[in-house]
Amino acid sequence: MASPAETGQIAIEAGNLVKRFGVINAVDGVSFQIRRGEIVGFLGANGAGKTTTLRMLCGLITPTSGTARIDGIDIFADPLRAKARLGYLDEEPFVHPHLTGREFLNYIADLYRMPRGTERQQRMEKLLGLFELADRNGELIGAYSHGMRQKIGLASLLIREPSVLLLDEPTNGLDPRSARLVKDLLEELASRGTTVLLSTHILEVAQALCRRVAIIDRGHIVATGTMEELRAQAGSEQASLEDLFLKLTAGPESKELIERLLAPKQ
Amino acid sequence: MRRSATWTILSAELLGLRHRLLRRKPARLVGLAVFLAAAVVFIGGGAFTVGATAGQFLPSARDSMLAGGFTTLSVLMLVIGFPTVIATFFVGRDLLQLVLAPVRPIEIFVARLLLAMSANLLISLILLMATLGVGVGSHAPAVYFVLAVILIFLQVLLATAVQVILMSVVLRWVPARRARDVAAAVAGVAGAGFYLAWNLSLRQSLSPRSRPDLSNLTSFVERIEWVPSAWPGHALSAVIAGNAGAAGTWLAFSVALAAIVLAAAEILYERTLLTGLGVFGGPQAVWRRSAAKPAAVDVTGSRGVGSPARAIALKDWLGYRRDIRRLSRLLPAFIFPLGYAVSFIRPGRSISGFWTDVFLVGFISMFMSSALATPSIPSERRGFQLLRMAPLTMWHLIRAKVILTLPPVLALTLVFGVVVAILSGSGIAQLAGLAVLVFWLGLGFVSIGVSAGGIDPRFDAADDRRAVGLLGTLAGLGGSFGFGLLSLGAFALFVFGLGAVEGTTTHLGPVPTTPAIGALMWAGGLILATGAVALVGMLLWFANTRLGSYEGTIAAT
Repeated sequence: MASPAETGQIAIEAGNLVKRFGVINAVDGVSFQIRRGEIVGFLGANGAGKTTTLRMLCGLITPTSGTARIDGIDIFADPLRAKARLGYLDEEPFVHPHLTGREFLNYIADLYRMPRGTERQQRMEKLLGLFELADRNGELIGAYSHGMRQKIGLASLLIREPSVLLLDEPTNGLDPRSARLVKDLLEELASRGTTVLLSTHILEVAQALCRRVAIIDRGHIVATGTMEELRAQAGSEQASLEDLFLKLTAGPESKELIERLLAPKQ
Repeated sequence: MRRSATWTILSAELLGLRHRLLRRKPARLVGLAVFLAAAVVFIGGGAFTVGATAGQFLPSARDSMLAGGFTTLSVLMLVIGFPTVIATFFVGRDLLQLVLAPVRPIEIFVARLLLAMSANLLISLILLMATLGVGVGSHAPAVYFVLAVILIFLQVLLATAVQVILMSVVLRWVPARRARDVAAAVAGVAGAGFYLAWNLSLRQSLSPRSRPDLSNLTSFVERIEWVPSAWPGHALSAVIAGNAGAAGTWLAFSVALAAIVLAAAEILYERTLLTGLGVFGGPQAVWRRSAAKPAAVDVTGSRGVGSPARAIALKDWLGYRRDIRRLSRLLPAFIFPLGYAVSFIRPGRSISGFWTDVFLVGFISMFMSSALATPSIPSERRGFQLLRMAPLTMWHLIRAKVILTLPPVLALTLVFGVVVAILSGSGIAQLAGLAVLVFWLGLGFVSIGVSAGGIDPRFDAADDRRAVGLLGTLAGLGGSFGFGLLSLGAFALFVFGLGAVEGTTTHLGPVPTTPAIGALMWAGGLILATGAVALVGMLLWFANTRLGSYEGTIAAT
């Protein structure tokens, strides 16, 4: 029987990715595959290597070794084709402060060579309406709040309908209503075949949205699978994602550290 | 014992500088050290030699030279220092942190003043070397050398404090919604204006240009004797002359002035720090566009597929229009050619010959390109990552930047070229030749400038003038110099070769001007022009390669 990669079902593929910054191994042999239409959570502590992995997958930084494929296309061998299918949202979205929201969306659409005309305009209006940015006409992005920048960053991905989304903390800075909107939107997109790799610190978001999760610790993937598979791996059937995460990325017990910090002075 | 906040702030900055230096590759550090050592030897040594020679052989001009030197230093600091002062005193999240901390404003002021002075202190080293040279040449007493160091430091302090006062005055008395624009305009125009006024006055004092006359310079400096920037120079020359009374008086004047200006700057800064943080801390809150005006970008009626090059050009155009700080940095680039053109138009001034026009056009083209094209790629800032993620090559980006920068450079150089050509009485053929040269030089210099920015971009720089690293700066300077020489050489060979072929040029020094020699000249010109094209092509290729693999700031953020 043919493998998912052979049948073209694999949308994102990391093959033994390594990234060294000087003597530091930020990412050390990360491998995983994500099927088309899946939402996969990418979890890890601060500095674990999540953002570096995402940036290698979208071609922003070159790996020291290893491969990254988007829809079967090697992003470093054929970058233009791979990038046309890909949308990446950084935790601090890349925006131009001296453009308005509409101008920024048009800028992105032009960069991706989208057809100009009424259809584009209508899609833009819909997205601006969806993210409650339509009435900000004339206001420069530089004056937007962090949440609004996050929304315009998301809109700039969705205007061009990429088949693969790499999202780094997409609900960061969003109010509860907008965060819910993003979650619903991602589920809807996935049901239509869009693949999402979602890096987040908010474990509730990952547990609610993602069928599978991958946990990275000090540059290594320490666990990957569905909740049930992770529970089986950890040998704890009732454990929440938070418990599993803490167990798999074991560090000093926080309770003990707090007690030590707040202990009366000798 | 409680450590002063000023010292804490300064040590944090020094620690940051140490980390930035140590993070560099050893080879780059060695390169930087060699470059700095060469600069000290050549520039500092040159300044010292000039000072020592003048001190030894021109005793009557010592006072004029020292006063002029100190005034030149002040003007230079005012020309280039405003953006540094704004950035150091009124911009930055670290400043917000200091405002929130229990730190007295005077401590912030002192720490920031010392930081803002660092760039000016580097420039002042040239004056220091020249002043020490004058002392050595004049056999000055030991106290002269101590005073020279103190007075130059005081002058730097004074110039920086004046800039703080000017910015604070704008912030205090101009309405908040206009303050940012006015401050940026003041910063942009004041520096360029000071330089132009100083330069033109000096040129006038040295006329006729072909025969510089020291008495003209002396009389010019006599006119600025009471300008405060000249006082430390008078104090030092009085020390050399052994006139203790005069030295004490000028010294007292200098110190008193510095004290008054510093106190005023501190008081004003304390009252405007928070306003400044609000005004300069971010982009304008609301873009003031009238509701009736149509949107800058509207694609409803347009057809076809979006063009990345057009999108980048439009985005840059909108960015320039709306970012008054960026616009203000361009003002000097526009003011200089206009100023020089005006100085040539003035009655009594004439330009001798076509070749003067050629060199002037070459200089203006190089200057404009360096100001406009060099920061064009680094000015993408974090937005560069959007371009890296988009399905386009770095050639697209380089091409878009060249296309966007070329029209203003060509337009201004062409206007300038036509004006000087008409004033110098050049004929139609020479005017046409000059126009061709303007296009050639513009295309080459702009491409070199864009390449320089692409070779060593600093996307995290807050200021366009610091947006290109050492390698890019050297590539830009070397490339422009080489391209300029090759192009002007080729142009000269074409012009003289044509003259030889047509028989209009009868002699070229010892070389007989036969048609065969003319053809040889044309061949030589072609070789030089090919070399110029190859140089530009090589720099463009290097920039494309470097941008394609760039990940410095991306990895850091």
